[in-house]
Amino acid sequence: MIVAEKKPVEEIIDYVKDFKKLLIAGCNECVTVCEAGGKKEVGILASALRMYFLNEGKKVEIDEVTLERQCDHEYLEEIRDRIDKYDAVLSLACGVGVQFMAEKYFSTPVFPGVNTCFLGAAEERGVWSERCQACGQCILGETAGICPISRCAKRLLNGPCGGSTKGKCEINKDLDCAWQLIIDRLKELNRLDDYEKIMPIKDWSTERAGGPRKVVREDVRL
Amino acid sequence: MESIEGEPGDFKVTLTSYPRYIDPIKCTGCGECAKRCPVTAINMYNLGLDDRKATYIEYPQAVPLAFAIDIDTCIGCGLCEMMCLAKAINYEDNEKKSTICVGAVILSPGSEGFDPSGMDVLGYGKFANVVTSEEFERILSASGPYRGHLMRTLDREAPKKIAWIQCVGSRDVNLCGNGYCSSVCCMYAVKEAMIAKEHSHDDLDCAIFNMDIRSFGKDYEKYYNRAKDEHGVRFIKSRVHTINEDSTTGDLVIRYTDESGQTNEETFSMVVLSVGLQIPESVTALARRLDIELNNYNFAVTDPFAPVNSSRPGIFVSGVFQGPKDIPGSVTEASAAACAAGTKLAEARGTDTKTIEIPAEIDVLETETRIGVFVCNCGINIAGVVDVPAVADYAATLPYVVFVDQNLFTCSQDTQDKMKEVIKENNLNRVVVASCTPRTHEPLFQETLQACGLNKYLFEMANIRDQDSWVHANDPEAATEKAKDLVRMAVARAGLLKPLKEKKISINRRALVIGGGVAGMNAALGLADQGFDVVIVEKEAQLGGLSRDLTVTIEGADIQRYLLELVDRVTGHEKIQVLTESLIVGFSGFKGNFTTEIMVGPGMYERKIDHGVVILATGANEYKPEEYLYGQDYRVVTQIELGKRLEVKGADDISKVVMIQCVGSRNEKNQNCSRVCCQSAVKNALHIKEFNPDAEIYILYRDMRMYGLLEDYYTEARQQGIIFSRFSQDNPPNVEATDEGIAVTFKDHILQRDISITADLLALSAGMVAEDTEELASILKLPRNEEGYFIEAHVKLRPVDLANEGVFLCGTAHSPKLISEAISQALAAASRATIFLSQSEITLSAVTARVDPDLCAACLVCVRACPYEVPRINEEGVSEIDVALCHGCGICAAECPAKAIELDWYEDDQVMSKVEALLEGVL
Repeated sequence: MIVAEKKPVEEIIDYVKDFKKLLIAGCNECVTVCEAGGKKEVGILASALRMYFLNEGKKVEIDEVTLERQCDHEYLEEIRDRIDKYDAVLSLACGVGVQFMAEKYFSTPVFPGVNTCFLGAAEERGVWSERCQACGQCILGETAGICPISRCAKRLLNGPCGGSTKGKCEINKDLDCAWQLIIDRLKELNRLDDYEKIMPIKDWSTERAGGPRKVVREDVRL
Repeated sequence: MESIEGEPGDFKVTLTSYPRYIDPIKCTGCGECAKRCPVTAINMYNLGLDDRKATYIEYPQAVPLAFAIDIDTCIGCGLCEMMCLAKAINYEDNEKKSTICVGAVILSPGSEGFDPSGMDVLGYGKFANVVTSEEFERILSASGPYRGHLMRTLDREAPKKIAWIQCVGSRDVNLCGNGYCSSVCCMYAVKEAMIAKEHSHDDLDCAIFNMDIRSFGKDYEKYYNRAKDEHGVRFIKSRVHTINEDSTTGDLVIRYTDESGQTNEETFSMVVLSVGLQIPESVTALARRLDIELNNYNFAVTDPFAPVNSSRPGIFVSGVFQGPKDIPGSVTEASAAACAAGTKLAEARGTDTKTIEIPAEIDVLETETRIGVFVCNCGINIAGVVDVPAVADYAATLPYVVFVDQNLFTCSQDTQDKMKEVIKENNLNRVVVASCTPRTHEPLFQETLQACGLNKYLFEMANIRDQDSWVHANDPEAATEKAKDLVRMAVARAGLLKPLKEKKISINRRALVIGGGVAGMNAALGLADQGFDVVIVEKEAQLGGLSRDLTVTIEGADIQRYLLELVDRVTGHEKIQVLTESLIVGFSGFKGNFTTEIMVGPGMYERKIDHGVVILATGANEYKPEEYLYGQDYRVVTQIELGKRLEVKGADDISKVVMIQCVGSRNEKNQNCSRVCCQSAVKNALHIKEFNPDAEIYILYRDMRMYGLLEDYYTEARQQGIIFSRFSQDNPPNVEATDEGIAVTFKDHILQRDISITADLLALSAGMVAEDTEELASILKLPRNEEGYFIEAHVKLRPVDLANEGVFLCGTAHSPKLISEAISQALAAASRATIFLSQSEITLSAVTARVDPDLCAACLVCVRACPYEVPRINEEGVSEIDVALCHGCGICAAECPAKAIELDWYEDDQVMSKVEALLEGVL
């Protein structure tokens, strides 16, 4: 899932302080699950802003909506009939949703309410950590299901480096060394021989290095 | 109680009711009579530390919560009669005799604290700052004489140092003749010390002078350790012999001899005497009248295998009258007595039950909202502060309000009748009562609504008493405004209330007992004798559990003979089915409707059993020691092994025996005390002495925990020359195997030097270890503590219930205990289960959580947040909450990031409407 974090309310206020009619739009997918931009957070942010404007003596109308997804046209279309009522939209979706909203409603200012952080998993409630960097060329099959691209600070393909101490990474003593994890799991899987294989240079063109990416699936296109 | 005549099943009981002079039915507890009463009397509830009036309620939690007149101090001025708006005063009230017919009687007359006045050396009654523990308890209480402020009695100064003297009136045949241990004083002293430290503004020094600390209850040892190690409560091993007062300061000088024989003096600002429990003279007189046999300390005589049966058939006993015990023990025993009594009365169950006829519900959703508001004066409780007519006038101006009335006492029967008429006449479909707390009267008002055909959830209360007139008594104007706010909020919510359906579910009247030891079998019989079907699941091939390894109780009762009879009764009972060599592999359902999958041996075929309740009796085992050469030398045995050996071989061949206590208990691995091992040691030691009076026996201990009546056996053991020597945890005995015997070296606490004994036999008092129930607990989703014992719903008040409804607990699955205690607890669990099984259906609360599947993002937040593990993601990929399992706590509704969950009766808009009504006009 895409993991996002709420932006500080001061930053949001700075974006919207001069508008008179605001729509706060939540998303019922990833940001709901990581408790940053679902219907509940929309309500909380709306309350906070209403209190702010009240304190400032400003009359600002704030509406709330939570769309099923902000990364699909059909769901974004649901607010087409009323979008012109608003001076600005505050989207609590991930960066994808905010942009899609902005593309769709070209003349309405759209501001982000969250910081989109990474693709990650919920280790436990309230703790998320990165697992994938969407490099476009998955090597998890070679690395015992542990991704050195997202989890090794140096993105080493043939690790570990000399900074690995007692299974931890030199950049942070609480951070597991990805290559230690890989070796441990290869051992468990009786595949330590694979570790001996030198991994070739990775083709980074499928990653950001190759510019913005696109997936086109002719088989499912209409 | 004057007398009981007749036979079990048909007793005639003669009662005398003393006059109260205030009718408890009419009295509303408003307190106006006491406020006006000119008499000052001594408040004995606070043990004479403050005063009360002649009209009084004994204590804030009294039942009934109604006033009475203390006629000994009343001067008959008549003021209270003039003041009482409820017309409850009756000076002509007199003693009344009545007889009732019952099938069984349970005696729970309780005990009193020992009066230390006669003990000169302790200075009680002579020195103001020497108080009893009961007095100190009142001093610490918020409803006590000093409102919970820690002060000493002489000068109301905050004490800097407090000493507790243990065993005052207990374990003392010398000064008072009470040879028993009162069982509770060690723990209450530790508790008082901890609370005193909490209440104190300075760094309070607390010292507890004791002979042994007897923290033998479940998790008590951990509390004792916390007091000692984290809170710095000092524990001094000494029987204090003299207390003197420093007449200039009122401080108290304690002279005591410590373990090394040195006499010390220490000054304290206050001394608390930890007084023991004692049967009052009035109770012994009652027992004589009822022909109930008492022991030499006036506790009721009971059999170890029938712990709640008195000597007179049909009369049962519970609580301290049966023997000294703490609250969990008393509560357990009370349920046990109820089970024992109920067994004989099962036929009569439900014959006196009255059913209330409820008219069909009126549909209110299609009709316009019509709210009625009833504002209560509560005598002058509310009206004395709040301008009630003004609040009523204001309520009439609120939206949808079509009727407003004010009552003197809204909760009184005549007002309820009037309310019913008004509701019908005015076609009210929502009702608001502005009065006291919903905690006490909400059900009463809801019944009134139901009697008018209104759904009980169309009701709302505004608490203008506890949260208004009582707390703002000094500012009537503001209180009146607040009352208006509270009423406006209540009306706003009332308008949004919808009728809710309470689901009724049928109950499967069969019980599943897990574990076929003494506890499991007794629980099964307790239910089966009352006519309920029971299935016992036992994993071994035979019934009996740990008891199969036991020989006699310390009282000398034959456990094997008892076990044989018990197994015979269980296997021969037509209502009991026993599955041996069986294993629980699956569990589903909810209270009243469980299904358990069992692999039944020896063929291991699968069976599914439907049942309404579960009783856990999985038991515990003796710890297998890794210490002191156990398993390496045949001369080192556990107490259970020794017990069996004595049964088989006697003790003629052993002349020197050493016993070591607390093996596998009270250490880092198992912090708790195993409760039973001290008595096992004394029992076996006395048994050896019986065979071989010349045998030398040494018991090396840390604290001898011979609680309750067991103390007598400890005394007996010392009289027989058994030597007890204390060792400290950090200096345990040293054990070596030699050709001559097992050489045990230890430091004697009195001689203060090492002693070496070469023993023929070393008996280890191995503690108890809970049966391995890890898998079972995960299948049944049941909570266990670190040591693997199941966790009850409430340590004191619900000792045999689990938080999971319909699941009960007994025996050593709860914590280590003696066989008689396990039997009590088994009967108690059966009794609690009976309450459940005797209903044909149960009504579930309508206040439960509801998921809107369209909004649900299946994020798992509810699944993770629910303390009862109720929500699950279903086949459709959305959260589903089973109303039969939901406790209605609302946590999921508050946490849901998609706002997909609503708690019925507390829907978001219903809650927010109150906030909006409160802030109306402010923003």
